[in-house]
Amino acid sequence: MGDLTRIIHHVNEVALADATRFDGGRLTVDAAEARRILADPALGDVRVTWVSPGQSARIIKVLDAVEPRTKGPGGAGIFPGFVSPAGTAGEGDTHVLAGAAVVAAGFLPRAQEAVIDMSGPAAPLSPLSQTHNLVVEFEPADGASWEDVDAAVRRGVLALASRLAEAALEADPDEVATFSTPGTQANGDGLPRVVAITNLQTQGTFKDVFVNGASFVGGAPTVIDANQIDDGAIVSGQFGHPSLKNPTYVHQNHPVIAALRARDGQDLRFAGVVISPEPVDQSSKERVAEATAELCVSAGFDAAIITKEGGGNADADVALKMDALESAGLTTVGLFAEMAGPDGTGPPIVVAPTKAIAMVSTGNYDERLSLPEMEVALGGAELELLRVPATSAMELPTAVVYCALSPLGWGRLTCANGLAALA
Amino acid sequence: MKRIVHYVNQFFAGVGGEDSASTPPTSVDGPVGPGRKLQQLLGPGCEIVATVYCGDDHAVSAPAVTQEILALVQAASPDLLVAGPAFTSGRYGLACASLAKAALAAELPVLAAMHDDNPGLDEAGGAPVVRSGEAARQMGPSLDTLAAAVKLVLAGEALTADDGRIGAVPRTSRMSDRNAATRAVELLLARLDGDRGATEVPLPTFDHVHPADPIDDPSTVTIALLTEGALVPEGNPQRLESARATKWLRYPLDGHDTLAPGEYRSVHGGFSTVWANEDPHRILPLDVARELEREGAIGHIYGEYLVTAGNGTSVGNARRFGIEWAADLRHSEVRAAVLTST
Repeated sequence: MGDLTRIIHHVNEVALADATRFDGGRLTVDAAEARRILADPALGDVRVTWVSPGQSARIIKVLDAVEPRTKGPGGAGIFPGFVSPAGTAGEGDTHVLAGAAVVAAGFLPRAQEAVIDMSGPAAPLSPLSQTHNLVVEFEPADGASWEDVDAAVRRGVLALASRLAEAALEADPDEVATFSTPGTQANGDGLPRVVAITNLQTQGTFKDVFVNGASFVGGAPTVIDANQIDDGAIVSGQFGHPSLKNPTYVHQNHPVIAALRARDGQDLRFAGVVISPEPVDQSSKERVAEATAELCVSAGFDAAIITKEGGGNADADVALKMDALESAGLTTVGLFAEMAGPDGTGPPIVVAPTKAIAMVSTGNYDERLSLPEMEVALGGAELELLRVPATSAMELPTAVVYCALSPLGWGRLTCANGLAALA
Repeated sequence: MKRIVHYVNQFFAGVGGEDSASTPPTSVDGPVGPGRKLQQLLGPGCEIVATVYCGDDHAVSAPAVTQEILALVQAASPDLLVAGPAFTSGRYGLACASLAKAALAAELPVLAAMHDDNPGLDEAGGAPVVRSGEAARQMGPSLDTLAAAVKLVLAGEALTADDGRIGAVPRTSRMSDRNAATRAVELLLARLDGDRGATEVPLPTFDHVHPADPIDDPSTVTIALLTEGALVPEGNPQRLESARATKWLRYPLDGHDTLAPGEYRSVHGGFSTVWANEDPHRILPLDVARELEREGAIGHIYGEYLVTAGNGTSVGNARRFGIEWAADLRHSEVRAAVLTST
């Protein structure tokens, strides 16, 4: 617990080259070195390819995405539980390659097909359309279990992201930002103490989120230092509902944490982060909601912003917490995506709060988008969902676009009553 | 000068009554019938340049007819299409609603008018509809409401319930100038400041279904097994979607005592299917249902099971599946069903 300094380097140009190097905004990657880092008994062939914003390129079957960060050679505390031992994250210096990401793409069972377009109408909707992406494609090794393939891709992508950031350890930063652990500020300034409650989708293999390297399935609501989240304490292994997922990249840049840090000391106090599981059955959801409220009361929080991950049932996790917290005297706001049908006339959310109604909309899951033909596609040759070549023009619901309805609040998409055409 | 095309049925076009219900789509210049009064109410700022009409039977006979009517409308290059008022007339209301929905899809501004009870109201797909009276004797006030709404729409204003708007108001996406996290902080501060009503999302309203009466004697009736657990034959031959299902499927149960692992698989995208695939009865309890059938506790198991994937399914599709399942089962004289949810 203490201060964390982000040492930020902007990546403006990328290439594959003989050496992994960062110089003057240009990031080059030695593909052979990347393949060595990604090598694992569960994986066969592995390829790395850059795609950049504005390019006529599409990534399909997108799994996790990670921002390159490190705290020193070998990681030195980054991605605790995966790259570094637990307990070393959250203070000191963290080098960040802003504007770049390592993106895994390929088949895993139960992974719902996700699309990132690097240009065209879907590009403004995804945080991973704004970054230079080193796309990692893979084949499973003969006889490897899918669970082992999933774990190998996750370990490899995190190690590669850490290694890329090492290239900037000696570079002059473009920006430096220091953050204190929330809750350690002086109290008594009369400002409302606001907590970010972050629900993590915890439904087992391929729909799981890791905290300090361990699955959060069966976990309890827990206070976590926001600075540790900066250092990769939350890693996604959750591949359902592409538009409604929270990849590692978005946790590293947690939008609600960023918005609360921006107002800290002005009209509120950013007082902490609580992570909470999203169990699958109603009674567990109710138990977790009550436990979250108790935790927030004990911690002395006054108000909460509650976020989710996943589809309709995850609405209940937000709604129940809003009600439990409001009953306990806290003021709450929840972020919801709307599932109102293609024409927007259906009920907007699946489970609504009853005591608090302050909800932010991140857009309509079912609204349809027409995507243009692309020159390049990575992650697979065919979009299985439509059985069309991955490069072809296609019409898809917003639900398929990676992070388009970001439950953590990355996007600017929202909904309003009325027809856009007549507005 | 704003150009308006008015759609009416054969009766209000003056062509004839029920005997003319198969009249094909036709376009004539200028206002006709109620359109003349509507033109007077609208005043000089806009002009009904054409009236398109069609017989009630013909208009609802096939989706292609709606497109044919829309083509006649578009041929007059309108700024706005006005349909109705259709009062409580079912076929006329459906025709107005289908045309309004098609116009919306073609990005042609549209406004329909009908009574709240008109079955067409649910088919307008979010196109704006304003309230009319129940029958033509209320033409005067109905046209007053419609004319006022036309002026608002042409002025680019959104219609509200105060303007007589009825039916579902669509929610459409747009880009804010701030991201959702920033807006959440602002909403929280507004709520802390005492604004208890502020929200971006209206509370949803859901249908309530009244359960059917219990069966007196299950040993005499046929019972169906249904599931939204996406259990399909291995290989998923008809490609049921794992999420956002747009269809449901049927597979035979006649001749099956059990569902063998390896022969059936759940393709549901919303939960870990490991245990479902180990024993498909965890999704579709055919094993115990057959036991009950043999014991005589229930009459018969229906010869097929109906299946979809309940994962991110739109309410509209889910409602359609329900209606189709209910119709299918009633037709087959099934009296009860076990619908497993995951």
